[in-house]
Amino acid sequence: MSLRTGEPPPQRNLMDRFIDAIELVAAAFVGIVAADVFVSVVLRYFFSLSIPDSYDFGRLLLGILIFWGIAATSYRGTHITVDLVWANVPPKGKRIIDVFATLVLLFVVTVQTYTLFDKVRTTRADHVLTFDLNLPTWPFFAVAWAGDVSAVVLIAVRTYRLIFRPELMAPGPSLKALE
Amino acid sequence: MGTDAVALLGFAALFALMLLRVPVGMALGLVGVSGFGYLVGGEPALKLVGQTSMRTVTDYTFGVIPMFLLMGAFVSTSGMSRELFRAANSFVGHFKGGLGIATIAACGFFAAISGSSVATAATFSAVAYPEMRRYSYPQSFSTGVIAAGGTLGAMFPPSTVLAVYGIITEQDIGKLFIAGIIPGLIAVTMYMVTILIIGMVRPGFLPAGPQSSWRERYAALRQIWAPLLLFLFVIGGLYGGLFTPTEAGGMGAGGAFIIGVLRRRLSGGDIRRSLLQATRTAAAVFTILIGALLFGYFLTITETPQKVTAFLTGLGLGSYGVLALIMLMYLVLGCLMDAMAMIILTIPIIFPVIKTLGFDPIWFGVIIVMTVELGLIHPPVGMNVFVIKSVVPEVKFATIFRGVLPFILTDLIRLVILIAFPLLATWLPRTMG
Repeated sequence: MSLRTGEPPPQRNLMDRFIDAIELVAAAFVGIVAADVFVSVVLRYFFSLSIPDSYDFGRLLLGILIFWGIAATSYRGTHITVDLVWANVPPKGKRIIDVFATLVLLFVVTVQTYTLFDKVRTTRADHVLTFDLNLPTWPFFAVAWAGDVSAVVLIAVRTYRLIFRPELMAPGPSLKALE
Repeated sequence: MGTDAVALLGFAALFALMLLRVPVGMALGLVGVSGFGYLVGGEPALKLVGQTSMRTVTDYTFGVIPMFLLMGAFVSTSGMSRELFRAANSFVGHFKGGLGIATIAACGFFAAISGSSVATAATFSAVAYPEMRRYSYPQSFSTGVIAAGGTLGAMFPPSTVLAVYGIITEQDIGKLFIAGIIPGLIAVTMYMVTILIIGMVRPGFLPAGPQSSWRERYAALRQIWAPLLLFLFVIGGLYGGLFTPTEAGGMGAGGAFIIGVLRRRLSGGDIRRSLLQATRTAAAVFTILIGALLFGYFLTITETPQKVTAFLTGLGLGSYGVLALIMLMYLVLGCLMDAMAMIILTIPIIFPVIKTLGFDPIWFGVIIVMTVELGLIHPPVGMNVFVIKSVVPEVKFATIFRGVLPFILTDLIRLVILIAFPLLATWLPRTMG
């Protein structure tokens, strides 16, 4: 893991605001999932009631939040990384490593997005439904997949910026905090 | 090429990619799928990617991670840490090294509601460090105490690292959380004793703070009802079998939110920040979880865990000898990578060895988290040290590492105690409802 501090805030253009919006979408879903779990438990213990499909909604929304979160995390460069070499090379070396790592990231996420589309397609074809309300699950998968598509777009933007416009790279959050 | 050669090549490629700063999860996924594709075929390998990714992110059990992360984010943002430190300080601050003891106590409590080592270290760098410096505590000691206190986040429930260990090894996450309590309390006690010993060995090194009156102590205690209530609510529900771990996380996040809002400690901006923080971290954790599961298929097809198990058990070292070897490997790995990456990368290979040797998986979870948490404070990676340095940039890395040394020694002794007395970790989960 690594830290990023002390960098001046860059000017925020349309793309930055778009990225912020994506991150906010994911963040909103975290809140919704937490609210779903909280309300379900409260209703179960205090009113002997249950929200129909609470379990399915919870897990499907979780999928959405994670893929949209990965989009923002990939752009911000706040994935878990081993920084041993990166931290000990001069700035030019750092940039080369960053470009290489981002290109690999772009390749992996592109392949993932392609294969996820197949998963969405087969889920639709198989008519997979939620347990209580019998709602089709594929639209949830499709929204999650859209998050992965935006991840590809954002990583492509990151790659372009790293190579051609490094001054535009927004600094990540101050900490890549994990455990 | 034989499977052994492919496996070795895979590991070499994995380490090369990670050293070139490719995100750990992506490197795991890429190598895992490429290796699987080479041995089995491209089409089944590609199918694995979509299926595994979607199955992982829509697994309700895994929801435990973002839920507890959100709870920790609300707790951190709503400033409960300051109240905890003030309360602890009012009771022990007047002893020599008392501010250090108060820091450890408050870190332990904060860890129990945030579940994050990094958040604990970052928070107390801002809360406790200025206080300690105000009373002329040495820089090395002040930062060392905070770095060590921060590691408690990995031990006390809801520890994210323990949750990930539970997911990978398919162990009961609730039991793992509860198993961490007694070892966590032992850690707190041993850190405090370490501070007292430092005070005795080096008279004059650690000053005493002013003594609080009983009225001040009572007032400080009244301020910590919120974190106390939250802890009892979440852990009590988990221990009593009222909540699943994911539900406990959701209830904790909801509880922290309600407490924060009612006490006017969470503004709209704070809530937004907390949600963003939880999302970022959850996305990073899930990325490596997906990667680890994809890499797991590669390990299975190359029979790496079985081969490693056969190799280690065939060394003739005995079960504790092999365990010691594994611990040593983790300590060395701790010099290269952080706790989460270590757990996700190595547990699928090491866990079958542990099962073959007949060790309790819950106990091993606690032991392994204790071992990897050492990596949070020992050089050269020492994540907690980096966190403290980012909050108090005027302190040199060498100074912080010097301050941490006595606590590393304490951790090693604690590890030996836990290995000698497994009951310390396994007793409490056995009594769960």
